Amino acid sequence: MSRIGRFWNSLATPKKIPRFYSVILGVLLLVGFIMPLALNDQQLYPRPTPQLQIDENDPLAPYDRGGVPLKEPGIVKSQYPQFSEKSGMVTSYLSPIAIGVSNTTIYYGTSIYSSPGGLIDEILYYSRGFDTILESTILMMAFVVATWVALHFTMKRREEE
Amino acid sequence: MDIIILGQQLMGYIPLGDIVLYLAPVNLFMFASALAFTTLIAISRTETQVEAGVGTLKDQEVKVDKDEFKIRRFLAIVCGLATAGAMITGDLFNFTLFVCLIGIVNIGIVAAVKQIDVLDAAFQYGLVAMIAILPLFGGAAMILASTGTISLLEIAHIPTTFMMIFGSLLLFLGVAGETGVAPFYATKAEMFRTPGSPFLLIIHLSSLLVIIRVIEILLIINKPF
Amino acid sequence: MSASVLVPTVVSPIVVSLYVPAIFTGLIVGLIGLMAIAYQKDDLNALILTDIVGMGMLILVAAVGTDLAEALILPGLVVELAEILAISEILMSREMRKKGETAELIPLPTSMDMEVMTTAPTFLAIILIVYGAFLSGFTGGAVAGGGILFYIISRRMRGVPSDTWEGIAGVSGIAWCLWLVGFLVFFVFPQYWLLALFLAAFGVFIKVAFKAGLIGVIGREEFNKK
Repeated sequence: MSRIGRFWNSLATPKKIPRFYSVILGVLLLVGFIMPLALNDQQLYPRPTPQLQIDENDPLAPYDRGGVPLKEPGIVKSQYPQFSEKSGMVTSYLSPIAIGVSNTTIYYGTSIYSSPGGLIDEILYYSRGFDTILESTILMMAFVVATWVALHFTMKRREEE
Repeated sequence: MDIIILGQQLMGYIPLGDIVLYLAPVNLFMFASALAFTTLIAISRTETQVEAGVGTLKDQEVKVDKDEFKIRRFLAIVCGLATAGAMITGDLFNFTLFVCLIGIVNIGIVAAVKQIDVLDAAFQYGLVAMIAILPLFGGAAMILASTGTISLLEIAHIPTTFMMIFGSLLLFLGVAGETGVAPFYATKAEMFRTPGSPFLLIIHLSSLLVIIRVIEILLIINKPF
Repeated sequence: MSASVLVPTVVSPIVVSLYVPAIFTGLIVGLIGLMAIAYQKDDLNALILTDIVGMGMLILVAAVGTDLAEALILPGLVVELAEILAISEILMSREMRKKGETAELIPLPTSMDMEVMTTAPTFLAIILIVYGAFLSGFTGGAVAGGGILFYIISRRMRGVPSDTWEGIAGVSGIAWCLWLVGFLVFFVFPQYWLLALFLAAFGVFIKVAFKAGLIGVIGREEFNKK
């Protein structure tokens, strides 16, 4: 009986909580090893077989999803195509600089999502844009908290002395 | 789309690309109450705690100064809005992001205090919140892997598999850690021992509403009835 | 090129067969991190170890192996980094209160008295910012932010007006609003999708760049106090 009491007491100590939580989570993760896990092959936004586009010397490999910039939309298999009217246009878009670079090298695809346009931008800004807005809000809030603590405590302290 | 979620007829939906916010009566009610409470908090002032001195007649007032008041009110409003958003979102991944936003804002509301105990509790809560990212996003990813979608409106029609149950268990544990419900309450209870009452209450309200919402999501995924 | 090369109808069998090994890897990584957290006693160690747990999460998401999974990794990664940033600051504040000692905001092991810090900062910073502007988005923001960070840290002795911090923070917030506008344009006026794309891409770029720059500004103010 006293052991159970001690256990309940330890639950009331904040310092023990992360360890307690990680033990419970670890036990649940162990269950994952005996679960029948399998990937459903009917997925949204599927991508071609690895290396397939690279073997075809496609300059945009492995992110080529078809389409002509500003004219034809690329192929996008989104959840609700009816809710994104211009779906695929962002995917096929390449900025003039990007077109220039992709004409000179067949390795442009490796950096395609560091220029406006492309498949990842379509998902990040358009079809799942709300996720990215939330994510940047989280980053902003973390900065608000961290800089506020830094400006008011970590730095003001030195002035007081 | 004419969809019935958990026996409720949808009153409407807000399509934002793949992310569809849906307005069922229960969700709408929770959304409205979260917003109403946030408005109340935005226009209220903080309490003042009085620490009685032992053996003397000197009482010490623990007040919240202007700067602290401002940042806390700001974070409390963000927390209320995030809670309201989490009530009506119809996308699993979107929901996990809302929960993460609530978690980090909760830490921020108490980060401005001077009591060491409270700071320690906030830090331990933050640790749990960080560990909880694994089951939150991992669970959502497992449901995505086994169903091929993360829209709750679609998942409602897909028969449940063992993998979905496992994924939703992970998701629940993640939300439990991120909101600090029992048996992980100790860190959160400790965080309340600081002045600034109305803003602290949003921490409570957000975890209550999020837990109700996650139960609804678990029912949608697992379809026990 | 045929459509099946561009986008297949089903996920390729290779990815499906790799799923279970990938999930097991993720679970094992997560377990290692969790076990370490359960055993250790030091708070700082626990904070660093949560990063390993985060790695496990990234593997679980990446195992799905679609373009969607690739896009979902970014929020996961950013959430983790953001939380570690805020929590480490709280840990520092708590330790300083407990011990009554002060610490450097950005502790530097050496005095950083290097040739490159006095001769090249402007040149390097301009190159990084221009290249970052070409990249745009998160990647570009990180590159340009690195440039600003480097410039400010190397110029720390000169001193910049103390309200710079608020100015940069304000610009960062305005950039975030630009992006919100871009997001709304996508749905309210779909025919202007190109404008929306650029608003979003450069909103993110400015925001991320100045976020990184802010670290440098805080660091510089700290140095100036000596």
